Amino acid sequence: MAGAAVGGRGCVTLRGAQIRDLLDAKHDVLFDCDGVIWNGETAVTGAPEVVSLLKQRGKRVFFVTNNCTRPRENYVQKFSRLGFTDVAEEEIFSSAYCSAAYLRDVARLQGKVYVIGCGGVMKELRDAGVPVAEEEDAEPGASIYTCPLDPDVKAVLVGYDENFTFMKLAKACCYLRSSECLFLATDPDPWHPLRGGRVTPGSGSLTAALETASSRKATVIGKPSRFMFDCISSQFGLDPARSLMIGDRLETDVLFGSNCGLATVLTLTGVSTLQEALAFRDSQEPQQKHCAPDYVMESVADILQALEE
Amino acid sequence: MAASKCTRLTGVLSRQLLDSVDSVLFDCDGVIWRGDQAIPGAPEVINSLKKNGKRVFFVTNNSTKTRQMYADKLGKLGFDASADEVFGTAYCSAVYLKNVCKLDGKVYLIGSNAMRQELEGVGIRPVGVGPDPVSGVQKDWANVPLDNEVRAVLVGFDEHFSYMKLNRALQYLCNPDCQFVGTNTDTRLPLEGGKAVPGTGCLLRAVETAAQRKAQVVGKPNIFMFECVASQFGLDPERCLMVGDRLDTDIMLGSNCGLKTLLTLTGVSTVAEAEANQKCECPQRQKMVPDYYIESIADILPALQA
Repeated sequence: MAGAAVGGRGCVTLRGAQIRDLLDAKHDVLFDCDGVIWNGETAVTGAPEVVSLLKQRGKRVFFVTNNCTRPRENYVQKFSRLGFTDVAEEEIFSSAYCSAAYLRDVARLQGKVYVIGCGGVMKELRDAGVPVAEEEDAEPGASIYTCPLDPDVKAVLVGYDENFTFMKLAKACCYLRSSECLFLATDPDPWHPLRGGRVTPGSGSLTAALETASSRKATVIGKPSRFMFDCISSQFGLDPARSLMIGDRLETDVLFGSNCGLATVLTLTGVSTLQEALAFRDSQEPQQKHCAPDYVMESVADILQALEE
Repeated sequence: MAASKCTRLTGVLSRQLLDSVDSVLFDCDGVIWRGDQAIPGAPEVINSLKKNGKRVFFVTNNSTKTRQMYADKLGKLGFDASADEVFGTAYCSAVYLKNVCKLDGKVYLIGSNAMRQELEGVGIRPVGVGPDPVSGVQKDWANVPLDNEVRAVLVGFDEHFSYMKLNRALQYLCNPDCQFVGTNTDTRLPLEGGKAVPGTGCLLRAVETAAQRKAQVVGKPNIFMFECVASQFGLDPERCLMVGDRLDTDIMLGSNCGLKTLLTLTGVSTVAEAEANQKCECPQRQKMVPDYYIESIADILPALQA
């Protein structure tokens, strides 16, 4: 395969025939969502067609996102809304879904989970049959010294929560005093991009607060941790050597791919830049080198051109 | 001083140590009081030191009270003390913003009313104190209206800490010219009744993580806390004793400033931890070895009354 560029975290820009050759060698393609196939409520131009075309060519396509704010059924609706046809719920792996799967299948939780998170996480936990500790409405006199604790809580899960308060932080910290209480985080992202180059605080910032309060480190479900790949693989049987990870964030998507032994592609339609990728490539530190992608594309639309030629 | 360190302070040594200093700086939580109870004997020690001609100061990372509120608490617990002898981080952060950051403009404050009062006391206008629940949807949050006179973000203890406050701080800190200051990094805040809750350090870590920036931290072990006292009262470090219960804040501050240091065992740190630091080669950990340790500051009383 002389046309295929050599990987090795070299940040090689791929075009045309090189993209075709790479795809010929892969059976499964994993896409990050934000910044790769869509930005907010707008699909990246060509992305819906790319997904369809890959499936037509016999590839399996999966979506692996750290975004824990929606349950999978909402994602299905979003895909449809943005012009992606035939994306099935089973193909979507969010950190919310995978956190619930972890609690049910890996931790085999006996008891309840105390959640700092939003509707998406709650729904996935309920769908997975994982009991959630009820958040009592704050009584008028309730304070951080007197809030009741649920003795059935055996795990704490922290993720993006727009209703995050000091009280929740204090309660979670109380639960985490027991070393038997599991400590999970949906994802480590410190901030998320919004439209117009703005940002909003991410799960990682809330996790940092709780880790500091409890002097414990969370088990992180989302990228770059391996778990989401293991989750997909347990259902679909993936071979890392025949899988490709396409993402826009070097410290999450590319490092994830690297950690799982996948070939990695950075697209430039999202957070990270080519300059940042090259800086990781040229770094002396091994951990930083793992954040350098094998390949770089301007946009997933480049795949379209390659496949249509 | 102290070629030998981490020595138990006995009667004779107490006398020698007290004779070698003019000023004694006390941490509060775990040293002179626990919550709302004075450590038995502590008021007598402080009052006796003053009768012996020593100057006494109170240096605390706790940002929830103004100097006057601390003076009121000290008075109620039987300590003879005045507001200008108290250096808490609410006051010191205000001074830091004014004199070190040379802040010209407003500050976005994640903190308490006490912090607000101290800031106003030095002529800085804070915005943002009090509850701030989220409203609107995610895409609105990046567009929260920002006050364009804000030139700094200050983070202290705030029981109203919320996602929205974290978000606002992040929006201000996206501007690299906006200064970023934290009162302290203590992970636990001691409460009345002996309980504890997550401390300012947790809130600061949340903001630092979201903004991917590190704050300038005012509180111990930063030398600024000592410099604040020293500049107002003309202290000679070699004639000062720092008394505290935490190796990583109180004793480290003492080491950083060249003060004599005394660890009291009525609070957080233990002798075992101090000795472990002593055995370590690492210079940072060597700074967390006190010259002396004592069970409780009450044990100094006999030497004072002799």
